[in-house]
Amino acid sequence: MSTLSSLTRPPRTVLRLHRATLWGALAFLALMTAGTAALRRGLPEDGDVPGTLYSTYLDYAPVALLALPALVGAFVAGPLVGRELEGGQHRLAWAQSRTPAQWLTARLVTGAGLAAAAALALMGVFRLGAPRGYTELMWPDRGTYEAIGPALVAYCLLAVAVGALTALVLRRTLLAVAVTGALTTAVLYVLGSLRWDLVPLDTATGRGDGWGHRPGLPFDAFWVNQGVTNAAGERFIERHCVPERLPGHGCPADTRVTQWFVDFHPRSHFWYTQLIECGIVLALAAAAGCAAYAVLRRRTP
Amino acid sequence: MTDTAIEAADLDLSYRRRGAPALRGCSFRLPAGRVCALVGPNGAGKSTLLALAAAILRPTRGHLAVLGTDPAAARPRVAYVAQDKPLYPQLTVAETLRLGAELNPGRWDAARAGRVLADAGVDPRARVRSLSGGQRTRVALALALGKRAELLLLDEPMADLDPLVRHRLMGTLMGEAAEHGTTVVMSSHIVGELADVCDHVLLLSGGRVRLGGGIDDLTHAHALVTGARPLSDLDRHTVVESRAAGRGLTALIRPEGPLDAGWQVEEPSLEELLLAHLRAPAVPPLLTPGTTAAHRGVAA
Repeated sequence: MSTLSSLTRPPRTVLRLHRATLWGALAFLALMTAGTAALRRGLPEDGDVPGTLYSTYLDYAPVALLALPALVGAFVAGPLVGRELEGGQHRLAWAQSRTPAQWLTARLVTGAGLAAAAALALMGVFRLGAPRGYTELMWPDRGTYEAIGPALVAYCLLAVAVGALTALVLRRTLLAVAVTGALTTAVLYVLGSLRWDLVPLDTATGRGDGWGHRPGLPFDAFWVNQGVTNAAGERFIERHCVPERLPGHGCPADTRVTQWFVDFHPRSHFWYTQLIECGIVLALAAAAGCAAYAVLRRRTP
Repeated sequence: MTDTAIEAADLDLSYRRRGAPALRGCSFRLPAGRVCALVGPNGAGKSTLLALAAAILRPTRGHLAVLGTDPAAARPRVAYVAQDKPLYPQLTVAETLRLGAELNPGRWDAARAGRVLADAGVDPRARVRSLSGGQRTRVALALALGKRAELLLLDEPMADLDPLVRHRLMGTLMGEAAEHGTTVVMSSHIVGELADVCDHVLLLSGGRVRLGGGIDDLTHAHALVTGARPLSDLDRHTVVESRAAGRGLTALIRPEGPLDAGWQVEEPSLEELLLAHLRAPAVPPLLTPGTTAAHRGVAA
């Protein structure tokens, strides 16, 4: 038997076990593609028209994509691994000529392959459905950021590993599904909040209060902080301190504006944050995967 | 090929860290080629012992060798059917057998698997979830036999079959086992069901082996004595159980020498032997020569 067929054989048996889910996922993907195409029909190529269903779609589709890792995790913690452990079918599988570790590998490989394919397909649908220039401008938004880079694939792979681990540790399908969903979403949320601190900000400054043209600031920059400085270089926000100081805001003694400033991430930071974030998420996924094998090894010879 | 199918020495297994162990100091040796009945009351540890031998569980302590090697290495040569006959409900019967072929490359014998299903009227296109309990048992057994294993571990294989099917299926099973020299271990809490087909018995109770050996050896090693004499007359022998019978008494004993005249001596049936030992937990265990573990004290 060749090495290739020994690698592809177990996932093939796993795919056969989950045919129904697979067809369901393909149908959903077809529906999404058709729906996106239908919404876009007849609209200008470069713009979103406020008030249309398409506009609502643009608001929610990227955010909905953020649910994909939790869904993937639920599938792994539930039908793929958890249900087998709760229903006892793992004893049928382990009593064949393959080791429990090979059993888990087949499920992880299948889960990872399906998750990556699903993420890439939905990202493709979103990308093709978005108006021209949309992703260039909206790239830092939660949802859009994940939908146009490799981070979403990484989160889906993390969900596969976490799903397998929780299913093995808890051995209760429903509980494992809930815990996996919560853990995956928590990581997505926490890293989503930290990602803009991973790369140092750029700062642009210029004479005056910054109303009007700001030379040196790219149009697609992601603004993190903005304000003005006085002659000593102390930062403050003009409308908080001029003409009168509003209570609860820090204002320097000298509130005469000399310069404006904007702390921002240029578009080029997108790839830095994506890759750093992917590195963190994939490291977590690898740790969860190793832990899953360790749990399995402790229980079976 | 080794002449020992299973050898256990001081085997312990606890499902929870603080909880009564399911197996406690379990030691025995099962020679290869036997058809062994694993009997004992509910909760004796029968299923646990089979799952350990099938490399589904890892022992907490002790040594276990299967077919001369550790259980994990023996996995391709061992077939196991768990008590609840786990199968994938969403697959058809044909797909289930295909799974067996794919997961046992180089070992699978489709004809053998087919023979188990042949006379049962199981439609290969039927989904497993639509099968009756008896049909599911057949599919599970077909999967086990198709693997061409040297050791067949069956946990209460006939529990949900009617007597007629049970008889026929047992015949098929024994025919296959005899033809290929397969060692079979079958658990049951019904002794009568196994007495006819088995030549070896392991009585498990409270997580240890109480009796082990060839059925004939074990019955020869015991005597059912009746007489109008006091119990103290039997002091030289190991008395398993005694009860008043008329003016005298009846006792099941392990004779340690010649018996005095005046006792009426019979050989006990297997059932009498097993039941007497279950009622008398304090009697020391008996493993006939050749069925004790040689490997005592070696950690797994």
